[in-house]
Amino acid sequence: MNTIETNNISKRFNDQKAVDGVSFDVRPGEIFGLLGPNGAGKTTCIRIILDIFKPDSGTVKIFGGKMSEEKKQRLGYLPEERGLYQDINLEQCLVYLATLKGLSKNESQIKVSRYLEQFDLNEHRKKKVKELSKGMQQKAQLITTLVHEPELIIIDEPFSALDPVNTQMVKDLLQEQRKMGKTIVMCTHQMHQVEELCDRIVLINQGKSVLYGNLSEIQKSFSGNDLHIKTQSNLPSTIPGVSSIQSENNDGDFKIHLEKGNSPQDFLKYLIGQEIILDLFEISIPSLDEIFIQIVTQTGVGNE
Amino acid sequence: MNKIWLVIKHEYLRHVGKKRFILAVLSLPFFIFVIIGVGMLTAFISIDNTPVGYVDHSGILDQSKQIVEKNTSIFDKPIELLPFSDEKVAEVALKNGEIQAYYVLNEKYLETGEGKLIANEAPGGEVSSQFSKFLKRNLLSTIDPLISERIIEGANIEIRASDDERTVSNDNFFVVVLPFLAGFLFLIAVNISGGYLLQAVVEEKENRTMEIVVTSVSPTQLMTGKVIGNLSVGLTQLIIWILFGVIGVGFVMNSFPNLRSAQIDADFLLIVVMTFIPAFVMVSAMMAALGATTTDLKEAQQVSGLFTLPIAIPFWFIGLLMENPNSPFSIFLSIFPFTAPISLPLRVAFSNVPFWQSSLTIALLVVLAIFSLWLAGRAFRLGMLRYGKRLSLKELFRKSLI
Repeated sequence: MNTIETNNISKRFNDQKAVDGVSFDVRPGEIFGLLGPNGAGKTTCIRIILDIFKPDSGTVKIFGGKMSEEKKQRLGYLPEERGLYQDINLEQCLVYLATLKGLSKNESQIKVSRYLEQFDLNEHRKKKVKELSKGMQQKAQLITTLVHEPELIIIDEPFSALDPVNTQMVKDLLQEQRKMGKTIVMCTHQMHQVEELCDRIVLINQGKSVLYGNLSEIQKSFSGNDLHIKTQSNLPSTIPGVSSIQSENNDGDFKIHLEKGNSPQDFLKYLIGQEIILDLFEISIPSLDEIFIQIVTQTGVGNE
Repeated sequence: MNKIWLVIKHEYLRHVGKKRFILAVLSLPFFIFVIIGVGMLTAFISIDNTPVGYVDHSGILDQSKQIVEKNTSIFDKPIELLPFSDEKVAEVALKNGEIQAYYVLNEKYLETGEGKLIANEAPGGEVSSQFSKFLKRNLLSTIDPLISERIIEGANIEIRASDDERTVSNDNFFVVVLPFLAGFLFLIAVNISGGYLLQAVVEEKENRTMEIVVTSVSPTQLMTGKVIGNLSVGLTQLIIWILFGVIGVGFVMNSFPNLRSAQIDADFLLIVVMTFIPAFVMVSAMMAALGATTTDLKEAQQVSGLFTLPIAIPFWFIGLLMENPNSPFSIFLSIFPFTAPISLPLRVAFSNVPFWQSSLTIALLVVLAIFSLWLAGRAFRLGMLRYGKRLSLKELFRKSLI
């Protein structure tokens, strides 16, 4: 059973289609990336999944069925709109939110203290939330997301207010959660973070799903015509079947773009035939950033 | 259910016990105590118990007729009346400060009623009232003491509605004051609780905690918890004030024993409670519903003013309600849900209200209270994610009815 199944969901606000026929599944135990430029409809998708919005059409299944009060206790959500109760102290705030997730008061206190320790927030526990910095508040919200040990973690732009040290900490935390068998849905436009963490992705642009599947397979499907080689020999200026040769630096790195219909094998045979000594020969995998830009510029950018 | 309780507890404890709440609760009684205290102190200081003299040329006054009244309150100490043989002696005593003033009755007082009061400063009303009582007692000394006492003390008339066994005694000061007081307290309670509730309703929007909260509890659970929690805060504040009031009234009754005969009618109290509770919930929930359609606290507070106005309307027609408690207009005011909480207790205090009218009023209030709570839940659900964007009333009703 998939943890989340969305089937052809659409949602319209006034005259604007925020989500337009999006379908994807999230499998248990994976980190799933929900990607797209600003205003593409990512957050709306998540709100529909969480039953905050009702879709105009389409269906959502979470843990195999409709959202219920009981299921709310099995998921942790870090919304894009960050916020905590400002006028009470940090510990009170976190304990209250944890009890709303079904933990007993006692349990909440123990778990909240453990996380405050782990997140270096222990000395601030008696401070009012509004006195904390933005980064600290974000860490506090992560505690709220994780404290009740949810099976499904949905996080919207998890790295937005974090410095590099805390970004690394959150990444480690997500890896750790995955090792514990938790399912994670990560919503972001920071592609390099996705490449490190995600197993599968869906890319949404202007409310439509434009790419969906296994991350490495997607990358492979976008590669094929580009090669990366390293050699100290001189390359001939023209090679049959090659449309361009670019020198990357003075250290012998070259980017080769093959013409359509020519295989890397043919090119390799040619180089060997020319007795060119190779230090490196690889099929270059495009970064997700490149794929993202390529797709988004093809289809036009969202209007936010 | 358990989660509603968590929300109630959180909303309640967030205010009660906090410094701001304690200050707000204590400041009003403190303010009133200071005002009353200062008033009493000045009254006390201005009381002059120096004896008053009299020179009687007519020979009608008999010193033994001076009745030392049973001591009543700290403000009612009797002033001693001293006889003087002539004006000169009295003048000396006045100069020496032994007396604060002296009366002179002419020889032909009985025929002409002429007399004089000589004083350095005009004496207080207590002096003249006591002297005139003394004078009357002497003049009436030949009549049956029972009759003379009645002439001096006056009548105690009871007002009675012709169709009814309900009575308003002139002495029963509470029957007149209580409906006013109850209405006034109701207005205050609505304002306080409404204030807390509005703050609570927009809080998740202002803090952006809405999504975390609604993925933990349902909007209806959240709203119910908030309404009950914040009404309880307002009620706590009110009950503390009423306690202070009871202590204060007890103190006042001890100081002014002629108020001791006052008593409160149980039926009246029952009607007050039965009207106030649903009206309280109705108004608060309506405030919450409107508050939920706004975007921030400032805007929400402007909305709350809308509700205080119709509730206070009966105070403008108070004369009418007291004189003609059963006129069609009075009946309308006591049935219309917004004016009912103040009008119905007033009518009940001054006349006999038919059972069907009070039941209709209460039933209407209960139905509207439940409807308002439901509407508040709807408004909250529809308006919850509209950061910085207002939900129009038209939209609210249209979407609620679908």
